[in-house]
Amino acid sequence: MIFLNLWSILEWYLRPFIKWFFRKTTRLCELQRICYGDKSGAARTCNIEKSLMLSRTQNVKEVVSYLDSTVLEKTFVPANFRDILDPSISIILRVKKINPKLHTSFVYSFRRCLEQIWSYRSLLNDVEDLRTLQFDSNNELHEEKLLNLWSRLVPDTPLESRVTKQWQHIGFQGDDPKTDFRGMGMLGLENLLFFATEYPEISSHVLSHSLHPTYGYTFAIVGINITSMAYYLLKDGSAKTYMFNAKRCLPNIDLFHRFYCYLFYEFDKMWIESKPENIMEFSMIFRKFENAVRSELADPASVFRIKVEVDTI
Amino acid sequence: MFVLFGVSNFYKLTQLKFAWLSRSGQINGLLNILRKLRSNPDKELRLLLLGLDNAGKTTLLKQLASEDVNHVTPTAGFNIKSVLSSGFKLNVWDIGGQRKIRPYWRNYFENTDILIYVVDCSDHQRLEETSLELAELLQDDKLRGVPLLVYANKQDLDTALPASEVAQHLGLHLIRDRTWQIQACVAIEGTGVKEGMEWVCKNIPVRK
Repeated sequence: MIFLNLWSILEWYLRPFIKWFFRKTTRLCELQRICYGDKSGAARTCNIEKSLMLSRTQNVKEVVSYLDSTVLEKTFVPANFRDILDPSISIILRVKKINPKLHTSFVYSFRRCLEQIWSYRSLLNDVEDLRTLQFDSNNELHEEKLLNLWSRLVPDTPLESRVTKQWQHIGFQGDDPKTDFRGMGMLGLENLLFFATEYPEISSHVLSHSLHPTYGYTFAIVGINITSMAYYLLKDGSAKTYMFNAKRCLPNIDLFHRFYCYLFYEFDKMWIESKPENIMEFSMIFRKFENAVRSELADPASVFRIKVEVDTI
Repeated sequence: MFVLFGVSNFYKLTQLKFAWLSRSGQINGLLNILRKLRSNPDKELRLLLLGLDNAGKTTLLKQLASEDVNHVTPTAGFNIKSVLSSGFKLNVWDIGGQRKIRPYWRNYFENTDILIYVVDCSDHQRLEETSLELAELLQDDKLRGVPLLVYANKQDLDTALPASEVAQHLGLHLIRDRTWQIQACVAIEGTGVKEGMEWVCKNIPVRK
């Protein structure tokens, strides 16, 4: 720990010299070296982010805080990208003395990095808003979503009433799911609903596993715990690997839902493979699962996709 | 020389800090608990947290471990946390409260030093259910004579019954074979939690 601290202090002092040395020998600034040298995706975007955050140039700092302010104002959306990013990029090009005509591919990939970095930061806000929004049974929209979840997951059986034991079939704790969302609020419900809506086959496959007589678990409750895991992975930045390696889409709430679906699917696979004796093994297997996911996310080259295999247990 | 100087200075600083902490009233109670625990340095205590789902067991557990209580999720299975204090270990077991899990409660009874039962006082509909579950617990052989602390939780809600009424519903006054206590609390804010733990420390049974 002490050595790590020492190194970070040393690095702070040495960084300008190292940068100056490379600048003179390669005639490229650090941002260019990253964009040309690192593979597109998490490796490149994370390094660009780090470089921008460590920058001691006044103009770069101002660009960073300007972009942060657009996130706070919730204006960092694709429709405004041109208005927000064009001036920001031209400031950086000017400060770093980069000729955009010579370095067109740099401008292109640098723009992509900025889009990713600040979309991730907006996503953090959006997710936090959904999480702090409590499920409210007086809110028609919330109720509608809950009932929708049922009809998506169990299309053949109608719900007998709003408060019924049937909810336990999809893994809620009691007769009324409203108290089960707790600290995850509407985020937990939205995640489940997305899983059931966008991946109907996979979610019903996973639900059927959860109803297995020996390896069964409580689908919705486990789902809400996975929401919590996805939320923490997003918050501490581990999810950047997933978000930045996603091709053709930027971090947004849908991508977060997809991340959740990926986690749920993978958890289910690990659970069934572990052949647990009963639900009391949940916390142990869940911890093991989290460690596995974290170590996969630690490798910036990881690509995540749900690999569907239909199995019978 | 410098290192030595640094260490002794740091030591003095921490001493000062502790002196300051003990003067401020809020922390005083907690320190007292720690002090009491220190007199039993080799002992590990096993606390068992039970109650219906949504009673507030996990929130209470997090409160005891001084963790954030705003991100609690329903417990599938169980949570365990050890609250350490100078060689003394409080092992708190928080077992999920939903009906499907209740049959597994028994697996965690062995060697329990204190049973903590949490009741959501605003949930009038399930008051009977919770008293039936408690009655069943108290009849179990493995929990014979184990002191019982009932947390009458969610006292901040308008609809919450006062602790005395909850005690009546649970039939606590009929208990003859163990010491018991009911403590009103608001687990999410931490009010009343400390008082309950002080009772726990006073009633640590001498293990056979």
